Amino acid sequence: MMRPRQKRMTRGDLLLAILLLLVALAGLVRMASAPAGARVVVSDGERVLYTAALDEVKDVDLEGPLGVTRLRIDAQGARILASPCPLKVCMGMGPARRDGELLACLPNRILVEVVGPQAEEDYDLLSR
Amino acid sequence: MSGRWTLLVAGLLLLLGVGWWVLSPEPGEVRQVRLLLGTTVEIVAVHPDGAQLNQAVAAAFDEIARIERLMDPARPNSDVARLSVAAKALVVSPETAEVIALGQALAERSSGAFDMSLGRLKALWGLDGEQPHLPAVAEITVALRGSGPGSLVMDGRTARKAAPALQHDLGGVAKGYAVDRAIALLRQHGVTSAAVNAGGDMYLLGQRQGRPWRIGIQHPRQPGTVLCAVDVSNRAVVTSGDYERFFEQNGQRYHHLFDPATGYPSGRCQSVTVIADTVAVADALATALFVLGPEKGLALLSAYPGAEALLVTADGALHRSVGWQEVVTKNGGSRKSS
Repeated sequence: MMRPRQKRMTRGDLLLAILLLLVALAGLVRMASAPAGARVVVSDGERVLYTAALDEVKDVDLEGPLGVTRLRIDAQGARILASPCPLKVCMGMGPARRDGELLACLPNRILVEVVGPQAEEDYDLLSR
Repeated sequence: MSGRWTLLVAGLLLLLGVGWWVLSPEPGEVRQVRLLLGTTVEIVAVHPDGAQLNQAVAAAFDEIARIERLMDPARPNSDVARLSVAAKALVVSPETAEVIALGQALAERSSGAFDMSLGRLKALWGLDGEQPHLPAVAEITVALRGSGPGSLVMDGRTARKAAPALQHDLGGVAKGYAVDRAIALLRQHGVTSAAVNAGGDMYLLGQRQGRPWRIGIQHPRQPGTVLCAVDVSNRAVVTSGDYERFFEQNGQRYHHLFDPATGYPSGRCQSVTVIADTVAVADALATALFVLGPEKGLALLSAYPGAEALLVTADGALHRSVGWQEVVTKNGGSRKSS
C-alpha cells in the first residue's frame, strides 16, 4: 500500500509556526520578569517574620505563641491553610492577593499583608 | 494530525518545558521561621535532597535552641542566670566560655565601648520589658558601679566576677554566636546555600540561585525604605539601630544601645551595619561602633581584616569603611519592608 505523500509546509503554516513561537517566547519573558510584582509580608504586629514574592508558589510554617500557622502562597494569592487558634477565623478569610489586603490570626499573633507591586529592585533579606 | 504539526507542537512543548525548568524557583529550597533568642529566626536553605535538607534545618534550629538554653538570662539554669547569682568562681559550658572570651576581647579592643557587664543598667532602664523608663542619675551611677572589661575574669571555663552584684548580659554576642553555630550545622549536613537570620543578625552561606545574596539595609529614619543593598557570600551582616527598641519622653528618644561611659543611650549614631566573617564578631562590632561613632569606630574596625561598616551618624550623615563600596550594589531605594 502506498503511504500518502507528506505535504510540504506552506507559507501560511510557516507564519503560524512563527506566531506560535513568538507567543511562547513572550510568555517566557513574562515569567522571567514576574518577580517585580507584589509581595507577602508576615509580621507579628511589630516585627516582620517572613516575606516572599506573591508569585512564589510555596507553603510556609510560621510559629506563633499557640503553635504553627501554615500559610500557602499560590496562584490564588496568600491564604492560611491551618492554624492552632480555637475559632479558625483566619482560615475562613480566604486568599489575599491585592495591595494592602490583610489576613490576621490574632490569637497566634500572625499578620499577613500583601504589598506592592514596587518599582524598586528586589533584595533577598533585610538587615535591620 | 500531520507530521509537521506533531513536530511543531512537540517543539513548543519542549520550549515551554525548558523555559519552566530554567525559570522555576530553586529546587529543594526550605524557608522556616521560628521564635527563638527573643526574636524571629528565619532559615532559608537549599539542597537537592529534601529529606537531608529538612534534617539540616531542624538540626540548625535545635542548635540555636540549645545555645539559647545555655545563655538566656531568663532561664534559671542557664550559665548566664547562674553567673548572675554566683558569689564565687563558676564553671560554665565550653560554648558560654567561648562567647565570654570573644566578648572580652572586643571589650578590651574597644576600650570598653562594647561591654557585657551592663546587666544591672539594662534592667534599670527596662527597655526589654513592658515599662521602660528614664532612671534617676543616682540609680545609673549605682548600676554602673564595678562594670567594665575587667569585671569578669575567665580562666579556661571558670568565670569569676569582680563583685557578686555584677550582672552580665551576653546578648550582644550570644545571638550572633547561635547563628554561627546554626551555619556550622547546616554545613555539616552538606548545605552549601543558606541564610540564617536572627532578628537582623544574619549569615549568608554560599550563593542564592547562582549569585551572591542581596541584602537590603534598613533606613534608620524612614520605615519601609532601604539605605542601600549589598551583595554578600559567606559573610555575616548585622545592623544595630536606635529604632529597634526605644521609648520617647519629652521629645527625647531613649533606645537600647547604651554608652557604658555614661549609662545613657549613645547619641552618636542612628544605625551601624557591619559585614564580617562571623555573626558573633559582626554583632559585637556593630554595638561597639554605634557607641564609638565614625572616627574611633572605623579605627577599631581596621583591627578586623575584611570587616566593613556603614555608619549613619546622629545628623544623618553616612560614613563608610574603605572597602564598603566594593560590596554595595545599589544606593537608595524605597522597598516597603513592613
